[in-house]
Amino acid sequence: MQTEEKQLQFTDIHDDVVRSLVVTGRNYYIALGCAIFVTLACFFFPWFYQLYYGIGAAGVNSPTVWGTYLASFIFWIGLSHSGTLLSCVLHITNSQWRKAMYRSAEAMTLFSLMVAATMVMVHLGRPWFIHWAVPYPNQMELWPNFRSPLLFDVMAITTYLTGSSIFIYMGSIPDFAAVRDRTTGWRHHMYTLLSLGWRGTDTEWHRLGWAYTFLAVLIIPLAVSVHSIVSWDFAMSIVPGLHQTIFAPYFVVGAIYSGTAGIVTVMFVLRKYMNFEQYITKLHFDNLGKLLLVLSLLWSYINILELFTGWYSGTSTEYEQLKYKLFGFYAPLYWEMILFCGVAPLLLISNKFRTSFVPMLALSIAINIGMYTERFLIIATTLSRQYLPESWRVYVPSVVELSIIVGSVAMFVTLFLIFVKIFPSVSIYEVKETMKIPKREGVPEWQTTH
Amino acid sequence: MNIWDRFVSSWREFRKDGYYDEFDYAWTMTIDLDRCTGCGACVTACQAENNIPIVGEEQLGRGREMQWIRIERYWEGEYPNARLKFIPMLCQQCDAAPCETVCPVTATYHNQDGLNAQVYNRCIGTRSCAVYCPYTVRYFNYNDHRWDAPLEQQLNPDVTVREKGVMEKCTFCVQRIRQAKDQAKDDGRRRVRDGEVQPACVQTCPSEALVFGDRKDASNRVSKSMNDARAYRVLGELNTQPSVIYLKKVDADAD
Amino acid sequence: MANVDRREFLRLVGAGGVGAGAGFMLAESIKHPVEYLIPYPVPPEEFSPGIATWYNSVCGMCPAGCGISVRTREGRAKKIEGNPLHPVNQGKLCALGHAGLQVLYNPDRLTGPMIQNGERGADEFVKTTWEDGLSRTADRLAAARQDGIYFLTQGVRGHLANLFELFMGELSSDRLLHYDFAHPHALYAANKRLFGEHQLPYYDIRNTRYLLSFGADYLTNWLSPVHHSLGFGHSRHGNDGVRGRFVQIEPRMSISGAAADEWIPARPGTEGFLALSVAHRIVADGHYEGDDAGEWRKALSAWSPGRAASLTGVSEATISRLAREFARADPALAIGGGAAANHTNGVDNLVAVSALNYLVGNIGKPGGVVFNPEPVTGASAIDRQANYRTMQKLVEDARDGKIDVLIVNNTNPAFSLPLASGFREAMAAIPTIVSLSSFIDETTLMADVLLPSHTYLEGWADDMPEPGVGFPVGAISQPVVAPLYNSRSTGDIVLDLSGKLGFNEAIPWTSMEDVLKDGWRRIYERGAPEPGDFDSFWRDVLVSGVWGENVRRGDSVTIAPGAIEGMAVSEPRLAGESGDYPFILHPYLSSSMYDGRGANLPWMQELPDPMTSIVYGTWVEMNPVTAKEMGLTDGDLVTVTSGTGSIEAPVVVFPAIMPDVVAMPIGQGHDALGRYARNRGANPIEILAPETDSASGNLATSATRVALAPTGRRATLVKTGGESRQLGRGIVQSTGSRSSRGHSAKLNSIPIVVEVAESAVVESA
Repeated sequence: MQTEEKQLQFTDIHDDVVRSLVVTGRNYYIALGCAIFVTLACFFFPWFYQLYYGIGAAGVNSPTVWGTYLASFIFWIGLSHSGTLLSCVLHITNSQWRKAMYRSAEAMTLFSLMVAATMVMVHLGRPWFIHWAVPYPNQMELWPNFRSPLLFDVMAITTYLTGSSIFIYMGSIPDFAAVRDRTTGWRHHMYTLLSLGWRGTDTEWHRLGWAYTFLAVLIIPLAVSVHSIVSWDFAMSIVPGLHQTIFAPYFVVGAIYSGTAGIVTVMFVLRKYMNFEQYITKLHFDNLGKLLLVLSLLWSYINILELFTGWYSGTSTEYEQLKYKLFGFYAPLYWEMILFCGVAPLLLISNKFRTSFVPMLALSIAINIGMYTERFLIIATTLSRQYLPESWRVYVPSVVELSIIVGSVAMFVTLFLIFVKIFPSVSIYEVKETMKIPKREGVPEWQTTH
Repeated sequence: MNIWDRFVSSWREFRKDGYYDEFDYAWTMTIDLDRCTGCGACVTACQAENNIPIVGEEQLGRGREMQWIRIERYWEGEYPNARLKFIPMLCQQCDAAPCETVCPVTATYHNQDGLNAQVYNRCIGTRSCAVYCPYTVRYFNYNDHRWDAPLEQQLNPDVTVREKGVMEKCTFCVQRIRQAKDQAKDDGRRRVRDGEVQPACVQTCPSEALVFGDRKDASNRVSKSMNDARAYRVLGELNTQPSVIYLKKVDADAD
Repeated sequence: MANVDRREFLRLVGAGGVGAGAGFMLAESIKHPVEYLIPYPVPPEEFSPGIATWYNSVCGMCPAGCGISVRTREGRAKKIEGNPLHPVNQGKLCALGHAGLQVLYNPDRLTGPMIQNGERGADEFVKTTWEDGLSRTADRLAAARQDGIYFLTQGVRGHLANLFELFMGELSSDRLLHYDFAHPHALYAANKRLFGEHQLPYYDIRNTRYLLSFGADYLTNWLSPVHHSLGFGHSRHGNDGVRGRFVQIEPRMSISGAAADEWIPARPGTEGFLALSVAHRIVADGHYEGDDAGEWRKALSAWSPGRAASLTGVSEATISRLAREFARADPALAIGGGAAANHTNGVDNLVAVSALNYLVGNIGKPGGVVFNPEPVTGASAIDRQANYRTMQKLVEDARDGKIDVLIVNNTNPAFSLPLASGFREAMAAIPTIVSLSSFIDETTLMADVLLPSHTYLEGWADDMPEPGVGFPVGAISQPVVAPLYNSRSTGDIVLDLSGKLGFNEAIPWTSMEDVLKDGWRRIYERGAPEPGDFDSFWRDVLVSGVWGENVRRGDSVTIAPGAIEGMAVSEPRLAGESGDYPFILHPYLSSSMYDGRGANLPWMQELPDPMTSIVYGTWVEMNPVTAKEMGLTDGDLVTVTSGTGSIEAPVVVFPAIMPDVVAMPIGQGHDALGRYARNRGANPIEILAPETDSASGNLATSATRVALAPTGRRATLVKTGGESRQLGRGIVQSTGSRSSRGHSAKLNSIPIVVEVAESAVVESA
């Protein structure tokens, strides 16, 4: 491993990235094989069983009709906010430390959205009619219901997915070109196609920069609106515990929070297994850690708000909800969530913690487990304690559901593993922007620094 | 009319004041809690009339009940002054129904009779309507149901048998309402008379706690019943404007 | 582009093919199998497809005898509803009545005659023909001794009861027994003792303003529940401005107790003391001014409220208040049943209750006790009702080898008699058992020959409801569908047997329909002796589903001589010492299972119990304080042990039951009767002690002491209900009685404006 003092050369970056794409060790194939196997066994196989048997294969019942599928859906949408934040927001604020990571973060966004979309399909009672939720001219002369928050979801997520795919693709064009110039065989053909004839002229760079920033600005409101809209699936109901105005900010904060934690996890993996140690450094983890700390405090604040307003309202419905959340059947999950998302991240106050890789990995995984629990609890505790006490029930996820959760993670890993071998997972040209221009003989100093 | 004109005229219709208030009929049910004995005849009558599946012990143990009308029971007080109060709970056919706004494919909508209609073959099973319903009166088909032969010979041919993945709920026996309206039309454009159509539950209630009819006619039994001094709506503070009005139980020893 | 060689290509095609195949299979497995509709080449004439045909008949699910209208489509019964013209139920029907469709279409019905091929009770029945089955039975009957044939039937009335009488007469056997678990033996005996009346009177709940019920669950299964529910509803809010008051006195709150305005817990068997002390107060306070007031005062002198208070657990103040309210309400009505009737002093209790009616002068008046004229036919059935003493004699006769043939018709004493009766063992000693039941229940399981009857929806019978409604009523139970299987109408089976035995002189008919027509001809001649128009009369009775006669009891009913002096209630006896068995077991008839007959009907298994919302099971209800003392919560499995047996059931904490009483619903615990009933729950009747009421021979069902022992295990209680407290949410709202009389009650939402049609006046909401 190279020390931080040795100056990185432009060629190093090219070499490292191209090597990550071209050189495939045995470990990669094993990892990919396992991921595909787990996806098939734990996601598709139980899903097909559920298609055959009915939603009854899940543990949902009346009135807890929503379960882990929707919790997963929201979790994955939440995770997708990582890329948006890093790519777009930090791009506009011109932060340098994002440059090594944002490509993978954007990929996380894309794949999270894809996994979330499959979770919707798994959740539906009759998914073979999912196309009815899309407004297309049809013989029945029926439009979908535009007043429905679920349809807002369809619109928002489609927009987000489209926007993110265009964004990541467009931003990768110069990198495809760079890789094209250094590969042969079928890869060369593939990258020739993907790079769309990029030659690296000034005009092209100028246009790319402009288009990139334009899209970045366009996608930022999506980060807020998409998860707000997803939260409105709940908040527009009149069910106690779901019908809260704080939900839109709560979900957005939660999304960015879990997304950032997801980035930390992915960065650790990338760094370790793709030999990107020079590009993803302690600095990145330090900054991500600070971000996580802020978000954790925000998240804790909102949770305290919820507790307070629920208690303050004095109504039986809110009060019973709270009591159930804190001390009821799911209480162990609730306190686990508080521990992982509210208490443990306080460790990030320590500099040393933020710059240690393995503890950061552990914390980020813990945060995501806590965030998943939070999504699950929002659904399970509120639907279990609605207005009419006679319809109070307990919901326990079934084996099929738990398996599908595992399978969805495996699906994400599969997609990411494939991504890593096709897209340059570290952006070559942006990392170059963080480095000094290499010194050449006879060129004065002042012309070499930015 | 071309597409644009059609669109504009539909829009204008939709935006007219009172679009949602003017119904052909306004079917309403009143339930007198002082008469209800909790016997459950309405539950079984509904099950017979509407092809409600026999869920079975295992599925009921998992909480997947299927009773379009259910009797809720609430205890008050302790021994020896314990009281038990029953309340039949069915789809309230709300005029401001939370479930109607959330269905992404409009599988549930408000029809011209003021009923909250559920279209089984449009439902894709998102189950958001069940989440939004504050009365929890919507029931989902978690699997395909079977009837041990020859029990299926009893199924009512006027009502669909729902497949898995579809939401269902009380329809005020819309098949009976439809037949009564057809009969009225055959008889020469008269209105359906009071008492001519009764959902299965209303018809069989042994203590006559349920009254059903069209509240647009003030002389109907149900109009008088709903204007009783004891009338109230369950969870009325949510302003879902239900079409099911309850009459308060009388606590004879209180003021 | 990419170079694909042959092998590669084949691999891709193969993989693609497998993928497409898998997808196709998945799609097919989601779809429903294709069904083909094949029209009739020659359509049947009895129905028009798409148009429903309605048939009126009589419900056979319980002894109340409600009239039903059955909707049939294309020859299949679709819905049973009440017949609006029938005076008993007036268009209404209870849950069990609806489930008659599941009796008709039950998968476990007997489809034809069968013979037991293995050991008795082994359930190795093989099919046979009617000829074979009838011949076997006829041979055994012919070979039997005098009084060696027992005919044990469910309670039947009307011409079928007459047919049974004739048949048994021809067989020279007097042993015709109608056995119903829930038959109100004590009530009959009480009416006999106090009023000298042979039949039950009509209790006019509809017009009463104050109902004092001593344990009678009149809304669920006492006499005629649908009729009483109608009456209850009317008494509440059908009389303008006056709301009836209902008071229930029992050890465990029943459905009638929940509907009541006041529920008063009293120890089982002590209700009679309570009634006597109320009577004492009524007479002492001068509310009764009859000629025999002196006699009453003397007879009741010992029964002060103070004495009753210590015996019953009800306070003196309450007793005095009840007496005052009861006497002042006009009209007031007192009824008795449940734990009060089914105890060792049951008749005494009910006599005391009936005395209350006499003392407030409601005999023969609206809102009171109205005595019935004789039923037009089938009156003999009343005397044939078998109580526990009769059944014990049957058991003894069986043991002594006095029974040659036992014919069983749709009754199940092997289930509804306590184990201590020895009925099951006694059956082993009977050489021939023939069953006419439609299902293999516990009793029929022990039979040798099965000659299955039609269900009540397929066969011919008639019914004169008992107790009546104050005037004679009759209805014909006609087939509403073509018989599904190779069964026969019960009456037809008896006629076939009598034909084989050569009883053609006394029993000349060839079918039950002829029996009915003959019998109804005589009824027709009562009212309108115009010869020749019987056919249209017959048709009218079938189409309307009911017949009635405007004949009331003219004579005034008086107290039987000696009844007033003999007014006393003996101490209730409880089987078992209170030290060993601290609880009193109170089994009650479940609203869905009735006496166990509803257990093979899936609708009834799925109907949540009104009080606890439990389905598919049996449970033990106990008082919350008692449960806490014993450390028990909902779902803890306990053994319930009496002196004669032991069963297991989960605990349910029940707020309205006396601390030393535990209650269990009757109906589950079958080991036969089909897939829905078998091996589910426990049968509390099994462990009842063989205590009887000496005055009536009735089994005292609430006289058994039991002990509860936790097993340490838990059972899943399948409930449809969640939390059964409102927690201040105002879901079931009440109002004081004053507000219900016209003061405005707050509507807590935006009021609905009543839209009016044309010229009607607008009313404000």
